[in-house]
Amino acid sequence: MNNIFEVKDLKFKYHKKQENVLKGINFEIKEGEIFGFLGPSGAGKSTTQKVIIKILENYNGNILYKGKDLKSYDNQFFEDIGVSFEMPIHFSKMTAMENMSFFQQLYKKKADIQQLMTRVGLWEDKDKMVGEYSKGMKIRLNMVRALLNQPNMLFLDEPTNGLDPTNAKILKDLIREFRSEGGTVFITSHIMADIDQLCDRVAFIVEGEIKEIDSPRNLKIRYGQRVVKLEYSENSKIIEKEFPLENLGENKEFINLIKTKNIETIHSGETTLEDIFIKVTGVKLDNENQ
Amino acid sequence: MKTNRFFYLIKGELIRLHKYKVTTVSLMIAIIWGVVLYFVEGDIFNSLLPFLILIDATMMSLMYIGSVMFFEKKESTISTMLVTPSKHSEIILSKIFANTIHNFFSTALIIIAFVLIKDIQINYFLIALAVIIATLFHTTIGLLLSYYQKDFTTMLTTIMSISFVLVIPSALYGFNILTADIWEYILLINPIQAAAEIINQSFKPIDLNWKYYFSIAYLVVGGILVYKYLVLSKFKKYAVSISGV
Repeated sequence: MNNIFEVKDLKFKYHKKQENVLKGINFEIKEGEIFGFLGPSGAGKSTTQKVIIKILENYNGNILYKGKDLKSYDNQFFEDIGVSFEMPIHFSKMTAMENMSFFQQLYKKKADIQQLMTRVGLWEDKDKMVGEYSKGMKIRLNMVRALLNQPNMLFLDEPTNGLDPTNAKILKDLIREFRSEGGTVFITSHIMADIDQLCDRVAFIVEGEIKEIDSPRNLKIRYGQRVVKLEYSENSKIIEKEFPLENLGENKEFINLIKTKNIETIHSGETTLEDIFIKVTGVKLDNENQ
Repeated sequence: MKTNRFFYLIKGELIRLHKYKVTTVSLMIAIIWGVVLYFVEGDIFNSLLPFLILIDATMMSLMYIGSVMFFEKKESTISTMLVTPSKHSEIILSKIFANTIHNFFSTALIIIAFVLIKDIQINYFLIALAVIIATLFHTTIGLLLSYYQKDFTTMLTTIMSISFVLVIPSALYGFNILTADIWEYILLINPIQAAAEIINQSFKPIDLNWKYYFSIAYLVVGGILVYKYLVLSKFKKYAVSISGV
């Protein structure tokens, strides 16, 4: 896969601030992948996104988009990307359809609004004022807004935050479909389950520095224990045993337990992305938001 | 600048002025002023009509564009405009032009009503030109002011202060309370007085003197300079600062 974005030694400092918010970060986003960007509040996630979507300028370092310096792109760059901000961004006294039609007129390529709004379950409410929409509906409308111009790349900031599981699944399916049709996705989220389910690779950013980049699977293997844990019942008691993964098929005690005992649970010792997040960033996630 | 996109941006601004009831408010104000003027006769009417047109093209322009900017600030919609192919100049000019078109029609309503009800000697071309130039200039100033105001209430306070400093001397001069010759020159550097000059010259008898041409040039050149070096150049910084994204 080719790199769609290459970020090299990116440094950024806000006006009037002494210290760099981004301290020379390096990463690339491959064409057709879903790339997750994780980190605690104030780590530099949003700043990185703002820089690579050309909202923030005056950075140091190199950013290549499709092999060309990002600074060499004019506003036509926005024909190529779709952005969904975390907060709902619409004209509240206009209907959802009026909002979408207005924004779509600004682009050359045009997606089918009816199809998109139907997909996220909003077509029936297309003539409602956005001000009357619930938070969840506004978030789904953000996604439609991001896809209006048939972008090649999507930037999603906390796309499922505030959604119930059903609607979160609709958006996640939509993101996967977008990727399966060749699109690339840059996603920031603190909902680890979503990141785990969606992302091909994730980067952890802490205090303006990237501490880890890999696939969720590799990270879980690397940070996890190479063991199998099983629980079985014996004499009305639950007994837990742990075996190393190495030569498990030749481990006589393990095979004997499997054959002779009433096994209740069996798990590999891989860790969760959330545990890795805590380990790498040193910050605990807000449980209410997971 | 891409013509189609610019057209859609202006159309979008006009639709929002309507949806956000700014058009309704301006029409109501036009009607109230119309009613007031209907009961006024003679010399007072002849002074009051140009004065109300002046207020509409200057102070009201500042307030209308201020309300639009603060609606957008509240809804963070400027952030999403930053990630469209629209150029910053297109976004800003569409707001300036839409506000001018909107203001032009509300002023036109007053004038048309009084042409029908009362015998007004007015040059339509000159009044249209005057209203457009004065509104364009003051809308541009209004945009710039909105960059530095925390909320609409603060903006209103600022506009009231500007009114006190700029409108009062012009009004006193217009009502022949300030009569010394020196005021004729001092007040010309006041954009509201420049707007008053070009609006007053639209009423007959017409005398297009140097003050008229100076005022036109002052507002046009001043407006372009304010737009290019202040409004346009500071737009991105303002938009990012209020985006919260």
